[in-house]
Amino acid sequence: MLSIILLSVSGLANLFLGFNRSNRLILPFVLLVLAAVLGVTVSGIDTHGALAVWNQSPYFTGMLTFDRYAQVFTGVMVLTTLLLLPFSQKYVRDGNANLAEYYSILLFSLVGGIMMVSYNNLLIFFLGVETLSIAMYVLAGSDKSNLRSNEAALKYFLMGSFTTGILLFGIALLYGATGTFDLAQMGNAVRAIPAADAGLRPMMHIGLLLMLIGVGFKISAAPFHFWTPDVYEGTPTLFTGYMSTVVKTAGVAGFFKLLFVAFGGETIEFWLPTLTAMLVLTLFIGNVGAVAQTNAKRMLAYSSISHAGYLLLALVALQSGRLSVNAIFFYSLAYSVATVAAFAVLKLVHDQRERDDYDGLNGLARTNPLLAFVMTVAMLSLAGIPLTGGFFGKFYLFSAAAQEGHIGLVIFAVVMSAVGIFYYLRPIMAMYMKPAAEGSDAPVFVGGFQSAVLVLLVALTVLLGVWPGVVEGMF
Amino acid sequence: MAEQAPLAVFAGSPLLYILIPLLPFLGFLINGLLNRRLSGTVAGLIGSATVLGSFLISLTLFLRFLGNPVPYTVHLFEWINVGSLRIPFSYQIDQLSLIMLLLVTGVGFLIHVYSIGYMHHDANVGKFFSFLNLFVFSMLVLVLGSNYVILFIGWEGVGLCSYLLIGFWNKNHNYNNAAKKAFIINRIGDLGFLLGIFLIYFTFDTVQYGEVFQKASQLQVGAGVVTAITLLLFVGAMGKSAQLPLYTWLPDAMAGPTPVSALIHAATMVTAGIYMVLRSNVLYTLAPDTLNVVAWIGALTALFAATIGLAQNDIKKVLAYSTVSQLGYMFLALGVMGYSSSLFHVLTHAFFKALMFLGAGSVIHAMSNEQDIRRMGGLRKALPITFLTFLIGCIAISGIPPFSGFFSKDEILAHAYEHNKVLWGIGLLTAFLTAFYMFRLLFLTFFGEFRGTEEQKHHLHESPASMTLPLIILAVLAAIGGFMNAPLVLGRGYLADFLAPLFTYSRQINPEAFGGEIDHATEYMLIGLSVAAGVLGIVLAYVLYVAKRTRPVEEEAQRGAFEKLVYHKYYVDELYDALFVKPSMFLSRTLHDFVEKRVVDGAVTGVGRGVMGSSQLLRNLQTGKVETYLLLMVLGIVVVLALNFIRL
Repeated sequence: MLSIILLSVSGLANLFLGFNRSNRLILPFVLLVLAAVLGVTVSGIDTHGALAVWNQSPYFTGMLTFDRYAQVFTGVMVLTTLLLLPFSQKYVRDGNANLAEYYSILLFSLVGGIMMVSYNNLLIFFLGVETLSIAMYVLAGSDKSNLRSNEAALKYFLMGSFTTGILLFGIALLYGATGTFDLAQMGNAVRAIPAADAGLRPMMHIGLLLMLIGVGFKISAAPFHFWTPDVYEGTPTLFTGYMSTVVKTAGVAGFFKLLFVAFGGETIEFWLPTLTAMLVLTLFIGNVGAVAQTNAKRMLAYSSISHAGYLLLALVALQSGRLSVNAIFFYSLAYSVATVAAFAVLKLVHDQRERDDYDGLNGLARTNPLLAFVMTVAMLSLAGIPLTGGFFGKFYLFSAAAQEGHIGLVIFAVVMSAVGIFYYLRPIMAMYMKPAAEGSDAPVFVGGFQSAVLVLLVALTVLLGVWPGVVEGMF
Repeated sequence: MAEQAPLAVFAGSPLLYILIPLLPFLGFLINGLLNRRLSGTVAGLIGSATVLGSFLISLTLFLRFLGNPVPYTVHLFEWINVGSLRIPFSYQIDQLSLIMLLLVTGVGFLIHVYSIGYMHHDANVGKFFSFLNLFVFSMLVLVLGSNYVILFIGWEGVGLCSYLLIGFWNKNHNYNNAAKKAFIINRIGDLGFLLGIFLIYFTFDTVQYGEVFQKASQLQVGAGVVTAITLLLFVGAMGKSAQLPLYTWLPDAMAGPTPVSALIHAATMVTAGIYMVLRSNVLYTLAPDTLNVVAWIGALTALFAATIGLAQNDIKKVLAYSTVSQLGYMFLALGVMGYSSSLFHVLTHAFFKALMFLGAGSVIHAMSNEQDIRRMGGLRKALPITFLTFLIGCIAISGIPPFSGFFSKDEILAHAYEHNKVLWGIGLLTAFLTAFYMFRLLFLTFFGEFRGTEEQKHHLHESPASMTLPLIILAVLAAIGGFMNAPLVLGRGYLADFLAPLFTYSRQINPEAFGGEIDHATEYMLIGLSVAAGVLGIVLAYVLYVAKRTRPVEEEAQRGAFEKLVYHKYYVDELYDALFVKPSMFLSRTLHDFVEKRVVDGAVTGVGRGVMGSSQLLRNLQTGKVETYLLLMVLGIVVVLALNFIRL
């Protein structure tokens, strides 16, 4: 709860910094706040307590709960944001007039993300989804002078609000069928519906499917992913990085909670076939779609679709309990760190070379060996090559799914990972094998602090890859 | 059946333990990253200092252990934990790992110091020391680990470093081939080793030493599965420790810089196989059939390599075959269950063989990279320290009392005698041959007339102090090192007593196989015979090469049939070439031309094209129009609901 309060209050305080035109203070202030929130969250994690007492330390008459599950995922999201923001320095340097607003919106959106993993009541879940989404619509259009950014914001907003309707409709139907918004009570009510009931049962089923579609849109699962490449490409790089990490983590972790608490056990039959079909489609479209891209940001958009597919494996394997929770946690951590590293490099290159296709990366190994190395490690981790965090992330996900008997799905996912290696290697080839274009072969400017964060990102990725036990015991 | 209590777990701070391998690793990072910015001497000092640090820590731990000799494990972190597979990253601290620690870091440090002088003129000193540090790191991981997986990591790590260092002077094509050969032959061994580890996990459901041995104790002596495990592990040892038939890489490995030959291919890495067998002594004791194989392979390797050594003219090749031969001795000792004698010989051999390699390096250094002993002679006046220390090494390896080699070799022969007289006979013959070819080397190099060019003669000089000092220290160790385990007639050895707890478990499983004490008369007889064999070899070498001034004939000269056979190393390389290399080359060329180009490439490009095509199709869906997207989304919703509710 402290994290929500801290983030909201400092988001407001940050706006006052903007009034004073003290732009230089904003970024340090925000980073400090995030570090404090991270400290509070991580130190609050009681690794010896129960895995997840769904109604422990309830706030607002049990609508919010900060158990280990909520704290760990809050930690992942805050850490991701903290690692991502140092690369926004160019906004500060350019004297952007709305600087304070963007950072505040980002902090507020994080509050939405935290609500999505700590809710205990579908109303709060919806509130979280909307807080996060509306903030993202604004941030997508934050590059006001850029037509593509405006287009991205509009597209995202139009389709997002359409989906919001569907999500809300789903929640309403679920309420109608069970008479409650509370997760645990909803679970009991669902199990109490007799199998022969021709009224409540389809109502509940449709409600659940509509929620599945709504959340599927948010985490860009196929066939509701169409917005992703366009929006990712148009959105300023930094916020694209945020979208593909924090939003995804919040969506998957939040939805896992809903399914685990309210629709586990025998009721998985209501959603498992649909989710499985979505998973297969998502993996296919994400991985195969990425192959033909020539723009690094669009490639990462498809890559983020495919990672949504991998994460859905944990939902499919939800009956394995701890194993699948741990898999989501490890995967979202490793994936977020690698994705932040990739977007950080893209952002730095974009700041100087003004382009984000593969050719923009040409010759980077010669001009900026550090950037090239960071990008390489990030790509290898996303591809799931051993000695990087991504490998163990995939390994945990696959073993959870295999444990639950979804061998066919695992084989399909492995084949799709093999396709993934193809497109993840393309930026590496551009950086190491192709010479930089005439006139753009000056080294990309990287600040000292930014270099330190880049090294930290690589260190984290490798650490997770050689010693996955370092975050053991969270679940 | 005996029950072994689980090992105590060390409860204090593991910092000191982490530092042992970490220090050389830091040295590797510093020297590797700052490769070009550091001067050679600074790189050498950093490299040496890190290994010295590890040595001092190991020494502290060793002294502490002497006060309270109870083995324990140090748990560092949970490494892999999936399903029933649990592999912690932890160390095992006991008699065996401590001795190996001291050996690796102690001898390693001396060789690092020596390298500062030896590699002085090289352009890539930083790279050299970073590889050398990486090697020490891997070797320390190998001996410290408390399970077979960590052992395997270290095992592969030292293999990689060996490859990198053999090919260090990679401008020469032959050197690259030597490095590749070492790597590939070791792969063959590693395959066996890896299968052995899989079988261990399959059988015992764990790879932790303590748990494996405890579970193994429930099995009967001679159980099939243990025989299979030990044989597979031994295949790994054959590769790493250069035993028949996988020994051919070691003589070629002499292409690397001489300090590398001393450290990796004489003192430490090649003894990893012996370490592994000693570590698994419980398993080997349970498998008498395997032990028999080990003993015979060891004895035959010892004899075979010694005969090849008789006719070699390259100073390092002679030492290389001698190393293969001495490693054979160590396996002979293992095979006849003289476990502690084997480790004893590992230690003394590390002293005198490192000494002789470094001495050879000093000679090569003085002779401006000449390695052919036919071009040497009379060097004792120009290189007095090198000569004296080399002499001590030769006496030690020939088994003349009271030098170190005498004690360890004598113990091995005594164990062999008890076990099987034929094995003992082979060992004794080898001892005679060893003394002969080592002194042949000594006499041809240091006695008689100088046979090199005038220019070489002009350049002859004793090596700098950084090189002679390690020689002197190693010479002292080679001279007196044997007293740490004096033979039974002179009172029981310290080393054997110290090591005894390692084998208590094996003793309980199979007490009769260890054999009793030999009576003193027999022991004196054995000592007499082995000393006589050594002396005979030396005298023969003296008569031939000093008194009669025989000189080895040149390359193209006519040789007798046996001489020719030995000179060409029994044509084993040619045999392997014809049997394995050529057929696999042929096969791979055929596969390349037909299967790969037609079938595989076709399939791969086909799949690639297919994926690319689908990707383009997907791209076409992405029109950029919101209307299309919303339409597709609605279609998606309709399909989802339809699939869920329409029952056909």
